[in-house]
Amino acid sequence: MIEVCAQREAPPVMVERPQPVIAVRNLAVRTSARLILREASFAVERSQIFVLIGPSGAGKTTLLRCLNRLTDLMPGLQVTGEISVAEKSIYGPSVDVNALRARVGMIFQQPVIFPGSVAANVLFGAKRLRRMSRAEEETSLESVLREVALWGEVKDRLKAPALALSVGQQQRLCIARALAVQPEVLLMDEPTSALDPKSTQAIEDLLLRLKASRTIVLITHNIAQARRIADWIGCVYLRDGAGELVETSPCEEIFCNPRSHEVREYLSPL
Amino acid sequence: MRRALDRTLFLASASCGVLACAVLVGFLAIIFSRGHSALTWSFFTDEMRQAGTGGGIVYNLVGTAILVGTAVVICAPFAIAIALLERVYLHNSTLRRILIGGIYTLNGVPTILFGIFGLIVFVKFFGWGKSWLTGGILLAALILPTVSVALIERIKSMPRKYLDAAAGLGLNESQIIWSVILPQSWGGLLTGLLLGLARAAGETAPIMFTATIFAGVSLPHGIHDSPVLSLPYHIFTLTQDSFDPSQDARLWGAAIVLLMLVLLLSLIALPSRLRIHEEAND
Repeated sequence: MIEVCAQREAPPVMVERPQPVIAVRNLAVRTSARLILREASFAVERSQIFVLIGPSGAGKTTLLRCLNRLTDLMPGLQVTGEISVAEKSIYGPSVDVNALRARVGMIFQQPVIFPGSVAANVLFGAKRLRRMSRAEEETSLESVLREVALWGEVKDRLKAPALALSVGQQQRLCIARALAVQPEVLLMDEPTSALDPKSTQAIEDLLLRLKASRTIVLITHNIAQARRIADWIGCVYLRDGAGELVETSPCEEIFCNPRSHEVREYLSPL
Repeated sequence: MRRALDRTLFLASASCGVLACAVLVGFLAIIFSRGHSALTWSFFTDEMRQAGTGGGIVYNLVGTAILVGTAVVICAPFAIAIALLERVYLHNSTLRRILIGGIYTLNGVPTILFGIFGLIVFVKFFGWGKSWLTGGILLAALILPTVSVALIERIKSMPRKYLDAAAGLGLNESQIIWSVILPQSWGGLLTGLLLGLARAAGETAPIMFTATIFAGVSLPHGIHDSPVLSLPYHIFTLTQDSFDPSQDARLWGAAIVLLMLVLLLSLIALPSRLRIHEEAND
C-alpha cells in the first residue's frame, strides 16, 4: 500500500472535466420516522466505475436505488434533492420511470433468475421493451452473452433451465440480461458477495471491460475489490443515526490520503 | 400437581382429536356400508329411471360437472382481477382493507341467500327460469372468496426480488403482471379453484331453486328454462321423498360418489396448498 501511494502522481489541477453522466445534488432520503440518508452530492463521469463503500446499514443500497428510482417501489420512502442522468432530471414530473430503469440497469446481490431457459432469461427485458425479430433476438442473445464471457459456457444449453447454472454464471447471466436492454449506466449492489473467488475475478474482469462503453456504480464491502476496479470511491458512513456520504475521491486518493476519520477507520484493518 | 395438569390437558386434547377422527371414520363406514352395493359400472353410465329407484346417475354427474365447470370459468377472471387489485393496483391501505373485508363478508353469507338472490334476480327478474347458467354464476360468487384469497396469498408469498429485478429492467406494471406475477402464481389460482370446486360441487342451497331439478332433463339446450340434474339435489330429493332413506342403496351410492369427488379435488389441491404456506413462512 505504501509503495502504491508513493508512486502516485499529483492530482491534476483544475483540468476541464467532461459533463458527468450522473449528477446528484443534495439527495436526502427519509421515512416518516427517521432520516436514512443525509444530503449527498456527487457526480459520476462517463466510462467510470464509481464504487460506494461503507459499513452495513449506512444507506448505500438506498442511495443506489435512488439512481434509477427503484426507491419508488419501497413504500414510505421520501426522496428529496436532484438527480440527473445524462443531464436530465430523473425526479421531474414528466419522467418515464420505466424508460429510466431501462437506461439505468440494476444488478442485485443475489442473482435473480426467472423460471425458464437461459435464452428466455437473457431476453426477459429486451424482447418486452422493443420489437425484436427472431434474427435480432439471436444476435442480441449471442452478443450480450459474449460480452459477459458466458457464451462459450452456455451456447449449447440456451434452452436449458437457467437455474441449473452455477451462481457465478447466474450473476453473469443477470448482467447479460441487463445489457440486452442496452443501458447507459449499470448499478450493482454487491454483485460478487455471493460468489467464489474465481467467479468474482470473472465479474471484475467483465466490469473493467464494460466500463469502456458504460458507466458503472457499484457497492462493495470488499475493500481490495474496490481498490482493483474503482476510478472514484464514495464512502457512506453513519453519522448521528443517518447515512452520510462522508467522502468522494479518486480511488488512490481515498486510500492514500483519506480526509475523514471514519474513512480512515473503515479502511484500516484493525 | 403441574404434571397432572399437563397430563390431563394432553389427554383432553388427544381425546378430542380421536373423537374428530372417529366421527369421520364412522361417517364413512356408514355411507360405505349402505351404499357400496349400488356402485356398479352401470350406476355411472346409466340414466336415472323410476324416480331414482332404478338406473344410474350419469346426468347428475354431468349436470354437476356443468355447474362447477361454469362456476370455475366465471370465477377465474374475477379472482385474478381482485387479487391484482389487492396486490398491485390499490396503494391505499384503507381501500385494500375494504376489499378484503368485502371478500370475507361474501364468504360468510349463508349459501341459502345466494339461492334466494339467484331466484329473485336471474330466475324471476331476468326471466331465465331455472337455468344451469344461474347455478354457475351463483356458485362462482360462492367460491370467489376462496379462489381470490388463495391467489392473493400466492402472490404475497412470491419473493420480492422478482418484482425488483423485472422493474429494474424497465418493465412497466402490466408487463410485470404478465411476465412475472401471473406466471408465478397460477399454482395459487389452481389450488383456489380446486378448493372452490370441491365446495361448489357439494352445495345444494344455491342451486335448488335456480338451476337444478330432480328428473326429466339430460343436457342443457340453451339458457332459458334449461336446468340440469345434479348430485347434491339428487341426494336431497331422494332423502326427502323416499319411504325409508336408510335402506336406499342408490341414495347412499350417490352420496359416496359426491364425497369421493369432493375429497379427490381437495386432495389434488393439498400439495400446492401446503407449498403456499411453506413459502409464506420462508
